[in-house]
Amino acid sequence: MAITSSLVMDQGVSVAQGTEPPPVQKPVHSQQPVDFENDLQPVLTRFGCTSGPCHGKARGQGGFQLSLLGFDANFDYEAITKEGRGRRVFAAAPERSLLLMKPVAEVAHGGGKRFEKGSPEYHLILNWIKQGMGRKVPDAPSLQKITVTPAATILRNNETLQLTATAHYNNGTTRDVTRLAAFQSNESPIANVDEYGLVSAGTITGDAAIMVRFSEQMAVCEVTIPRPEPVPPAMYAALPRSNFIDEHVWAKLERLHILPSDLCSDETFLRRATTDICGRIPLPQEVAEFLDSKSPGKRSELVDRLLLEPDFADHWANKWMDLLRPNPYRVGIKSVMNYDHWIRERFHQRMPWNQFVKELVAARGSTFRNGAVTLFRDRRTPDEVGTLVSQLFVGVRLECAKCHHHPFEKWSQDDFYGFAAYFAKIGRKGTGVSPPISGSEEFFFAGSSGSVQHPVTGATMQPKPLFGTAEVTADTSDPRDVLAEWLTSPDNQLFVQVMANRVWADMMNRGLVEPVDDFRATNPASNQPLLDALGNHFRDSGFSLTELVRIIANSHAYQLSSLTNEHNAVDTRNYSRHYRSRLRAEVLLDAFEDISGIPQSYGAMPAGTSAKQIWTHRTTSLFLDTFGRPDPNQDPPCERVPDSTVVQSLHLMNSEKIHSDLLNKNSHAAKLAESNQTSTDIAKELYRRVYARNPRQDELILVAELLDAKDANRKQVIEDLMWAMLNTPEFVFQD
Amino acid sequence: MARQRNCEGTTRRDCLQFGIGALLGTGLVDSLRVLGDSKNTGGPKATAKRCILIWMDGGPSHFETFDPKPDAPTEFRGEFSPINTAVPGTLFSEHMVKLAASLDDFAMIRSIRHNQGNHGAGNHYMMTGSPPRIPVGCGAFVSFHPSMGSVVAKELGNNNALPPYFSMPQMSRSGGPNFLGARYAPFVVADDPNKQSFKVRDVALPKDLATTRFDQRTDLRSKIDKMVRLNDEAAADPVAAFDQYFEQGYNLVTSPEAQAAFNINQESDATRDRYGRDSFGQRCLLARRLVEGGVPFVTVYDGGWDHHQNIFPTLRKRLPEWDNSVAALIQDLKERGLLDSTLVVALGEFGRTPKISTLSGQKTPGRDHWANAMSVLMAGGGTPGGTVVGATDRKGFSAVDRVLSPENFVSTIYHKLGIDPGKVLYTPQGRPAHLVSDATPIRELV
Repeated sequence: MAITSSLVMDQGVSVAQGTEPPPVQKPVHSQQPVDFENDLQPVLTRFGCTSGPCHGKARGQGGFQLSLLGFDANFDYEAITKEGRGRRVFAAAPERSLLLMKPVAEVAHGGGKRFEKGSPEYHLILNWIKQGMGRKVPDAPSLQKITVTPAATILRNNETLQLTATAHYNNGTTRDVTRLAAFQSNESPIANVDEYGLVSAGTITGDAAIMVRFSEQMAVCEVTIPRPEPVPPAMYAALPRSNFIDEHVWAKLERLHILPSDLCSDETFLRRATTDICGRIPLPQEVAEFLDSKSPGKRSELVDRLLLEPDFADHWANKWMDLLRPNPYRVGIKSVMNYDHWIRERFHQRMPWNQFVKELVAARGSTFRNGAVTLFRDRRTPDEVGTLVSQLFVGVRLECAKCHHHPFEKWSQDDFYGFAAYFAKIGRKGTGVSPPISGSEEFFFAGSSGSVQHPVTGATMQPKPLFGTAEVTADTSDPRDVLAEWLTSPDNQLFVQVMANRVWADMMNRGLVEPVDDFRATNPASNQPLLDALGNHFRDSGFSLTELVRIIANSHAYQLSSLTNEHNAVDTRNYSRHYRSRLRAEVLLDAFEDISGIPQSYGAMPAGTSAKQIWTHRTTSLFLDTFGRPDPNQDPPCERVPDSTVVQSLHLMNSEKIHSDLLNKNSHAAKLAESNQTSTDIAKELYRRVYARNPRQDELILVAELLDAKDANRKQVIEDLMWAMLNTPEFVFQD
Repeated sequence: MARQRNCEGTTRRDCLQFGIGALLGTGLVDSLRVLGDSKNTGGPKATAKRCILIWMDGGPSHFETFDPKPDAPTEFRGEFSPINTAVPGTLFSEHMVKLAASLDDFAMIRSIRHNQGNHGAGNHYMMTGSPPRIPVGCGAFVSFHPSMGSVVAKELGNNNALPPYFSMPQMSRSGGPNFLGARYAPFVVADDPNKQSFKVRDVALPKDLATTRFDQRTDLRSKIDKMVRLNDEAAADPVAAFDQYFEQGYNLVTSPEAQAAFNINQESDATRDRYGRDSFGQRCLLARRLVEGGVPFVTVYDGGWDHHQNIFPTLRKRLPEWDNSVAALIQDLKERGLLDSTLVVALGEFGRTPKISTLSGQKTPGRDHWANAMSVLMAGGGTPGGTVVGATDRKGFSAVDRVLSPENFVSTIYHKLGIDPGKVLYTPQGRPAHLVSDATPIRELV
């Protein structure tokens, strides 16, 4: 019986010290049948033979190609037994097989020695060859799942724990596969794992997910390492709770023995909420009013007011444009502009998210009349649209599965092409893309022909959702309608959670799942109960972005200070403090316009346009390029870089445009200088305008000293103050 | 500046390009990156410390430059005659006068060929060593893999105030960092060093701002800057990076050495004349100043080599200037003792069709895209002078002797700079990517 063959491990071992491999039973005699899939392939994967840099890569290595990570048993069987003129295995003299001589480095091997001659692995392969190199042992069970023990654990700093991986087969048998499983930590400084599954907690607080892979199955062990000093539960009970978000955040922090930072100040909250919700900085007037207000509910009143502004729609539309907008040089200017209008209009209408996605995914009509169809003008094949839709709306990154089984997930090529098949029958009329002009009109409709073939088997794929059911029947006129229903169904947890996670990440500056569109068992959320609750709230509010933003902004967790306390400096993913972020390029440029008082102008846009209203990244702007906007030339184009760079510092410091705007005779600086305002008033105006706060006493004195000095050039002093403030992190960052 | 146009009529605004990547620290990615970084050691021994890449965008004709075919029929041969070079038996086309005379100082590769016959794809293949993953259009500017310049910026860095990767006057089509992240994007010098008013944007003070006022401003800034920094490194305060970059920018602005690198006016008239008083010549000179200042990779982007029509009159005017500038760069580096450690490379994305033709709608003949043959110039950094690697056939159709790939070419550059072309990089998604999939350098040149 294959399951009880030579690699069974002693069940008694649970905690090992050091990095010695767990003890292994001596290889038993060669009578036990070795199964290719259950026994031999795991060895190839475990010792790296099938990995991407070695024989698993698309061209193989040294003429020997295996399927990546051993997901294609038939392919690997052929490669081993038949290709290379059969010299890889040699039945007459099994020990002389290349399959054995290479990995133990008896002959030159580019990959070096992978295991020892005489090791259990060696004997396993040897036995398989001796037994006749069968493709399958009769009645060999098939692998159903693997489990890891423990599935979750709490460790102290520097503590170690041996994980056990168990394979479960369809005949009810199980087998310890720890020695053959691959282990990987997603946060190795917090909890590292060695190749034998020994977890070692580091010296810092936090949590990590240990991924275990065996054959095509995965399991995850969640490891939590709390701070050594416990915190009395009463301290958590005493924390304020504005809504359900706080319950979940505090619960997680309690597990980690971390207390959150204090509530942020009103001035910090004002700038944070205004930049997050509306993508602009507060005006001096707003600062004065908000700080003077005595209303106990003034923070939530502010949130309510901001959510009604047109800037809210433009700011969030701008974010989605990043993700959806194609390159106008590819699909045509008019198509992209219409697409932008279509998206923007829906954000201004506060359209429920499910409706938005339904209209987009099943869009029909002309690129000149319905901007949404530009999605299909750009992504012209079912696999291109399928990849985009699954990643954007359910957070499933299928692109790996286009060419090979997803290395960290269950997705296979069947899943990929089955999903793509929903887009197989899109009908087209008119003129397709003809870069770089692509100016013509194109129509999209529910076509009657078209299919997707599996690239390996050649089979025509039936449309199949990634999970659940979404059946295309004879009555279905457009399979995309079925897909749209499936995507936006209230039962589709991923649909609401992906959006909730994106919005959460935008406001909290770190997604519960990171990257925000990479949802999978092996990339667990840092706080799954919170993600569940946010998703449910979003769905129950009628898929309302406004409500999602509101509930987050009103939570106590959102309103925490960014300053660390004695507990939480180390926390970068559990929201025990607000994480700072650099403002987006458009927000910074609009802020500069507000501060200088000199309107920016953008090519082919009317006067008064703000940066976040620009409909194409082809619009020339050194400022926006410098601070990073998606590059339509990149694939994919949607990524934005939140980093600071030296080029940004240089631009703020020396840009001729910024300089001349500050010095312009119509600038705010000039107007302030000409006014008869006192130095105190001017200081207040400047600090409110740039930092959205009132100057403190020492700052008032500093400004007064400069402005009231004998022979002071008021205009120059104000310009210099503005320059100095623009070059500080307090302007560039959201605190 | 004059914008260069390719056949499909696109122009490229001058800008900084940013790649994907630099996502927030995600665990799996981090660990893979660390894994990738840990493989950094043990690269080949460097014979070059820096590289100047002259990028002839559009694809120069190999016939009219370095690979004339005097024995081919007229409709292949073209209007130019061959001339002898310093290497007996090797011919250049008639306008490559100075380079022909100094072939002892550099090498030619005549046998690189690939299969990407449009600008977008050809650019990507030659600039990154990686073919585009999906078919791309002719006018495309695509990036699926980090460019040579970005990789060198990451691997070699720069230990003074200057950024490690420059591109002038624009980034080449596929010259970006892709998944390496924005830090390794080229610093673009858009302005024309041949102009009296030349200055590099943002690295010097605005023109009417006095230095004393700048000093007052920075002094004022330090008084105004009150944002509390999170000193614990574990807190990963992004403001820390901002502070570093401000300081680096400030050093660049105030460093006489860094400013001197940009100050082309410090060159004598004789030197400036020698390089040629045009934008390209002066960019070559500026490139030399930058590598002298410690910059490891400079791209001199030279557009407009897409001669579908009017090829002979155009090249008759252009080639002598080009020949002069490139020869001057090589000789100047040699005289300064820098050629041994400085690699100079000149090429475009492909060669051009052997048969001269007049496209419909055009009145004058030209040559079209042709990736089966091209000529690549390589000088310095341990490149044996006078070497001619490979050959094309009698009519210039195809590389036939010692056929080489873009991978071999890019591997050669990395190898010379001490970077292992076979190393495995990891994308932010954790996908392993070979730096170059075939890491075999051109043995005649290393």
